[in-house]
Amino acid sequence: MTTTLRTPRADAAPTPPPAGPPRPTFRQRLSRFDLKASPYFYVSPFFLLFALVGLFPLAYTLVVSMHEWDLLKGQGPFVGLDNFVEILGDGMFWNSIFNTVSIFLLSAIPQLIVAIVVAYLLDQGLRAPTFWRMGVLLPFVVTPVAVALIFSSIFNEADGLANNLLNLIGIPDQAWKHDTFLSHFAIATMVNFRWTGYNALILLAAMQSVPRDLYESAAIDGAGSIRRFFSITIPSIRPTLIFVIITATIGGLQIFAEPRLFDVSSAGGIGGSDRQFQTTVLFMWELAFFRRDFGEAAAVAWLLFLLIVGFGLVNFLISRRIATGEGRPNRRTRRALARGGNR
Amino acid sequence: MKLSRRTRGAVALAGAASIALLATACSTGGDQGSDGEDITLTVTTFGTFGYDDLYTEYEEANPGVKIEATNIDTGGNARTDAFTKIAAGSGLSDVVAIEEGWLGAIMEVSDQFVDLTEYGIEDRKGDWVDWKYDQATDADGRVIGYGTDVGPTGLCYNGPAFEAAGLPSDREEVAALLEGDWAHYFDIGRQYQAATGKAWFDQSGFVWNSIVNQMPEGYYTSDGELNVEDNAELKASFDLLAAAVGDGLSGAQAEWDWNGGKSFVDGTFATAVCPGWMLGVIQGSAEAGGADASTGWDFADVFPGGQGNWGGAWLSIPETSKHKEEAAKLADWLTQPEQQVKQSAAAGNFPSTLGAQEELASAAEPNEFFNDAPTGAILAKRAEGIVAQFKGADDSVIQENVFGPVLDALDRGEVDATTGWDQAIELLHELVED
Repeated sequence: MTTTLRTPRADAAPTPPPAGPPRPTFRQRLSRFDLKASPYFYVSPFFLLFALVGLFPLAYTLVVSMHEWDLLKGQGPFVGLDNFVEILGDGMFWNSIFNTVSIFLLSAIPQLIVAIVVAYLLDQGLRAPTFWRMGVLLPFVVTPVAVALIFSSIFNEADGLANNLLNLIGIPDQAWKHDTFLSHFAIATMVNFRWTGYNALILLAAMQSVPRDLYESAAIDGAGSIRRFFSITIPSIRPTLIFVIITATIGGLQIFAEPRLFDVSSAGGIGGSDRQFQTTVLFMWELAFFRRDFGEAAAVAWLLFLLIVGFGLVNFLISRRIATGEGRPNRRTRRALARGGNR
Repeated sequence: MKLSRRTRGAVALAGAASIALLATACSTGGDQGSDGEDITLTVTTFGTFGYDDLYTEYEEANPGVKIEATNIDTGGNARTDAFTKIAAGSGLSDVVAIEEGWLGAIMEVSDQFVDLTEYGIEDRKGDWVDWKYDQATDADGRVIGYGTDVGPTGLCYNGPAFEAAGLPSDREEVAALLEGDWAHYFDIGRQYQAATGKAWFDQSGFVWNSIVNQMPEGYYTSDGELNVEDNAELKASFDLLAAAVGDGLSGAQAEWDWNGGKSFVDGTFATAVCPGWMLGVIQGSAEAGGADASTGWDFADVFPGGQGNWGGAWLSIPETSKHKEEAAKLADWLTQPEQQVKQSAAAGNFPSTLGAQEELASAAEPNEFFNDAPTGAILAKRAEGIVAQFKGADDSVIQENVFGPVLDALDRGEVDATTGWDQAIELLHELVED
């Protein structure tokens, strides 16, 4: 098909240009240029800014990661990939990866499920909808530091609220800050507290753009509300769901403030007395600012970057599958349809 | 439809980002500059430094100088703050307080700090105890810090808790009771524990620090060689401490937290190691936990194993300061004996100048919170003959990140003397490159 398109043009090239249309004036050319190029100028601030604060640091980090680099003394000799080799052979790095992924899973999965349910409930025509919508967003307004301090106190092992409540129902004190799983759970709770409402609102916005007549006809066809939720709501909000999952992935894997502040007394940034909840970013921070090894810290930063890209891709692929809508046209037919519409 | 939505999003994002950029650009300005008129000097301290009133006094005596002070909660966090800013090449205050534990790392980049001999610190050399002055002198003879306080260590104890265990609670009797080495201190602790079932000291970390700081050479030899693994003295002390912890003498408190200070009130533990500057820290924490003078904390003129120095600080001027001369003038003034006496009165810490030490010794002001103990005079006695040990570049990493986790595990009964020591050595190899 593409060849048939290209052929006439290739044939036309050697023939001399017809005298037909007059040369466009400067004004015309300017306005054509404006039409074609302006959008790029409009979006350029973002990309310029991104190049400055995103791309440049990324490249510079790569340079740092290939050198011996002391925090205070600065650049040392070039060492190639030695820092990466060192990090990949470091048990503490893998421990931090385990912690990060564990906290991510403990937070992202329940968070998204609850967010979808909350969004669905908010979509049910409640009274005073703005009040409820703002209500679920409220925790998001609280800064992570404040959240971490509050939850740190709740999960205090000596006489925190969590342990007091557990004692009420006869469960003894739990070591929230020393047990690996419990500390992950506590940190995931902070993340969920902050982000569930935010994600719910985004999903709500998507749900509200689902045409109501779809629901009505489904109801007439005898579909119950659960069936309508899974067969209409979920497939319709798929693009938004993917967006939420990807942002949750990026945010979840970069978690820092919550584990850092969860253990107030450790000045060494190791996340728990025995690195029970030292996430990768926290490990990077310890390397850079405590052990003063900037080179290895930069290598961790790059490995984390690659990990996030990998996780993002996997999640993208999975979430595309999970919510594939019934009868949704695949890409080729959609393109064909669009082309037909243009003609 | 889809395209336009995406474009709009990007524009909005770009707009928001540029506004954020503008906002930060605006907020970084603000300093008046050195046009001879008003200047603003920034000062960063940590812990309980006791400078607030002195700032006001200095501002009144020096019209045109405004002091903007920041105080960071602990020395560890101040270290992170300082290191980050040194690495970034900007952001350090005009006057930065540097703690003894991480002075070793700072001395490796001593050229980032102003050589104070240019501002006449040599004329004041006789003011300080000589080792304080020497510690801040680098290999090239540059002096980078005005000494503020030193950390002679005494023992904080809770009088009522001692009485409950049938021990004497009078300051002098306690001093006589605990005179001796660490083994003796732990033995008394075992008696206390047997009588009350409660812990003897708050947690192992601070006790360990005190023991290490007391040695002529700590984690490093005086030549700067790392010396942990085959350091028999260190190992023997670790075993001693581990045995004491095994007998339930440690309260397993979180460092610097003490359960929000409440553990000072509810009798969780009976004693705490107290370098001079710790008095202010403990008072602050304990008061936050609901304690007052009647809670019965006291300060005795005794320390297991004899004299010891833990901590102390200097005021340094980074090369990045725009007002070096004014900053040096302020730091010089703040560390004069007269001001050090006032600092000590406000923070409970112990001065590093001989003049101030003598005055504190003779005045013997009672410290209200510590059962009217003459803390200054006691510290002066505790300071006799102490010499600070050499601190290597990674001293604070070894303290916080190598022994910190192990001692915490020890307190919680997760390791014993042997496994704990092995773990520490393993961590040392992983964390510290030698």
